[in-house]
Amino acid sequence: MRTPIPITVGLILVMAVQAICYGQAPPKSKPSLEAPSAASSEQGVEHAIDLAAKGRCQEALPALKLAVSRPPAKQTAANSSGKQLEYRAAMAAAKCAMSLNQAQTAINALFILKRDFPHDPEVLYITTHYFSELAMQASQELAREAPTSYQAQELQAESFESQGRWDQAAAEYQKILDQNANVPGIHFRLGRVALSKGDSESDTQEAKKEFEQELKIDPSNAAAEFSLGEIARRTGQWNDAITHFSIAAKIDSGFAEAYLALGMSLAAAQKFADAVAPLEKYVKIVPEDPAGHYQLAIAYDRTGRKESAAKEMQLQRETAAKAPPSATTATPQ
Amino acid sequence: MISRRRWLQLLGLSGFSSAFAAANGSAALKPFANASSLWPLDEPDSLPAFEEIPASKSGITWTHTAGLSPEMYMPETVGPGCAFLDYDNDGWMDIYLVNSGPCDFYTPPHPLRNALYRNNRDGTFTDVTVKAGVAGSAYGMGVAVGDYDGDGLPDIYLTQYPHSILYHNNGDGTFTDVTAKAGLAAPGWATSAVWFDYNNDGLLDLFVCRFVDFDKSKNIYCGYGAENKRWYCKPTVYTPMPCWLFRNNGNGTFTDVSKDVGISKSPAKAWGVVAADINNDGWMDLFVGNDTVPNFLFANRKGRFEEIGLLAGVGLSPFGLARSGMGVDAADYDQDGWLDLFVTNVDHELYSLYHNNKDETFADAAPGAGISAATKMLSGWGVKFFDYDNDGNVDILLCNGHPDLMVEQRLQNVGYRERLLLFQNTGKGWKNLSAQSGPIFSRALAGRGMAVGDFDNDGSLDVLIAQNDDAPVLLRNHAGRQNHWLGLKLVGRKANSDAIGAKVTYQAGDLLRHAWKVGGGSYLSSHDPRMVLGLGQRKKVDWVEVKWPNPSEKTERFTELPVDRYITIVEGQGGWK
Repeated sequence: MRTPIPITVGLILVMAVQAICYGQAPPKSKPSLEAPSAASSEQGVEHAIDLAAKGRCQEALPALKLAVSRPPAKQTAANSSGKQLEYRAAMAAAKCAMSLNQAQTAINALFILKRDFPHDPEVLYITTHYFSELAMQASQELAREAPTSYQAQELQAESFESQGRWDQAAAEYQKILDQNANVPGIHFRLGRVALSKGDSESDTQEAKKEFEQELKIDPSNAAAEFSLGEIARRTGQWNDAITHFSIAAKIDSGFAEAYLALGMSLAAAQKFADAVAPLEKYVKIVPEDPAGHYQLAIAYDRTGRKESAAKEMQLQRETAAKAPPSATTATPQ
Repeated sequence: MISRRRWLQLLGLSGFSSAFAAANGSAALKPFANASSLWPLDEPDSLPAFEEIPASKSGITWTHTAGLSPEMYMPETVGPGCAFLDYDNDGWMDIYLVNSGPCDFYTPPHPLRNALYRNNRDGTFTDVTVKAGVAGSAYGMGVAVGDYDGDGLPDIYLTQYPHSILYHNNGDGTFTDVTAKAGLAAPGWATSAVWFDYNNDGLLDLFVCRFVDFDKSKNIYCGYGAENKRWYCKPTVYTPMPCWLFRNNGNGTFTDVSKDVGISKSPAKAWGVVAADINNDGWMDLFVGNDTVPNFLFANRKGRFEEIGLLAGVGLSPFGLARSGMGVDAADYDQDGWLDLFVTNVDHELYSLYHNNKDETFADAAPGAGISAATKMLSGWGVKFFDYDNDGNVDILLCNGHPDLMVEQRLQNVGYRERLLLFQNTGKGWKNLSAQSGPIFSRALAGRGMAVGDFDNDGSLDVLIAQNDDAPVLLRNHAGRQNHWLGLKLVGRKANSDAIGAKVTYQAGDLLRHAWKVGGGSYLSSHDPRMVLGLGQRKKVDWVEVKWPNPSEKTERFTELPVDRYITIVEGQGGWK
């Protein structure tokens, strides 16, 4: 089983937004038996939007829900006003549903907005706020309903982690282990905290110990295996890194980074022929990452596959050109 | 959900006696003074490996002025360079320091100039800049020293924005600006430069690194954070420009061959360069550190250059992205007969020690050497491979400092001023000896250029660090005096006069070593042209073999050699003095 990466409250928001970005549209509402004419339908929707704008959401929402449940119109010059109407209706539906605490309806409307207007700033803004509120509600409920549960302690620890309060985060995680030494995932998180604290040898050794302990409790924790591999890779212990990354990829066949790290470590150990397979797998899973194409180009080149190397290097250039700027890059104004 | 890739990035994955006295080129040799008369061989153990010599003792009172402005023009934060050179051929290393100066974006409030300091042979220096006439004329960057006309006198190429200068050494303590006649103005923003013989005709040619397309009107506002505070831009926002290669015509003039030989096909954002024969084919190659574009490895194909950096494995980070390559150097650190490379980068990018695979490819050995971990939060500029303790193994010294004054507001654990790093080569691996090598390693510097040279002629290579907007730092090396050594001044005749590209092999008892004389290396800086062969505790050198660079094709072996002093070997004379 894949061990999830610990999720902070902030990350919950990221997950929620990504779910909207990449998720499926919600199931359609039950269609009306008799379709109204286009003109009368548009008038009805306009009326509902108007009601919503006046705060009469109870009256407006049924018609708005119906309007947003229809398939999106194909965008042409002739029906651009229809597209605008769809946007306004969905936005009104979302806002009304939020004000009436109808979470499912709000989420449905936001899904549709994200699907049909994926880059609209207002859509992104309202989505962020709504899921932030949902996350806050859920965390408050957890604290209220089960304050001594390990899940509540874990959330608290993750919150400390997100604020960089490493010692407090570690103490919270330790409390969970004090109650039950075999809760899976906690040693992994302690390992992560140790690595976050600093780059000293003692921090690294502490992290290593925690990851190893995690694997004793949960041998299927691919993230712990990966982290041990990464500790080895960062100090050039290629054979150890290869072993850990191989296990991580075996445990979780969808763990893309494990393939990349395995390929990189094999290449660093001059085992270029062995590096090809994991790197090929990685570029299939994450074709937009220049790292995979670069490493694969090197592996191809060193195994005599010059044409393939040139092709991958071209892909590296193309993907690197599209890569987002790093966190330390300035934004020209 | 948050991807494990992001987790990887968070982990930091994302990610090296005698002197020619005659001005007329004749080789009038005279013995060096024995440095041991100044400083005894046996030093108390309490002396640090590197001791800072304060300006009050050295007499080097000049300081660099960057002209740091609210507009944050990029050149302000990346200089300066420095050099050890023996401009008066008295056998003692003098010092040259580069300053900023007037240009379209900067009008100094008071006159600024470079500085040439003459070595007084007693640990002090005298400012002779005005008499020498090497003050500079624009916004200075770096310096490359070489005897381009073979008259036995080192000449100075000063890189500047917006045009550079060639100072010809007149042999009487003065220099003449011969830029116009030579055709070496290199208009634009020049950074590091290196003298080397690219076409094996025995004449020193000149490679000049160029940074981005820049002038005052092209300055870009880079903002950070909610308040959009201005900071020094990462150069991704600027347009790369090709470097220059100038062929020496042998008559005091040069021809720009950048296009003819394939250099200009590769737009650069070049900071550092080293000339070294990385494939042992007898033709000098070039390794160029680029900022936010891939580093270049220009393989010299008999006078034409093929850029092979990407597939050679030295162009990009392991994650397939260009880093901020700055200082570079080359040496055969593991004595396998092939030159290895080093490049410094900025924080979170890690520096790279590229081990030569002997097939025009390289593998990054920095993680296993402990260099990756030590440099994760640092931004490196000057870097040099040299045998600081004369044990026969080349070590690495790095000077660091972040280019952005605002960095501490943006990033945790990254400083504007940063500490030096010293990695000792044990012959089996690397040891970070920074903490044990003197108080200077505890002091945060705005390090940029770094030159290596033996200013006190004790065979123990000293260090000069040029700081941005601050005073230079002169370090006396005490570690090398714990071992024996032999210093060589090589003079080419058929080969280029500075013997750039020469390979020296030597045997001292059980110690068999070789060393190449590479061109340039480090950042914006130029080094003592002499080679120091470390012998460890061995008191005798059995033999020294010099393989002169092409077109010489000569290999000469010398025996009955002294130790703990410098000698001069002139190509084809069959002896030493």
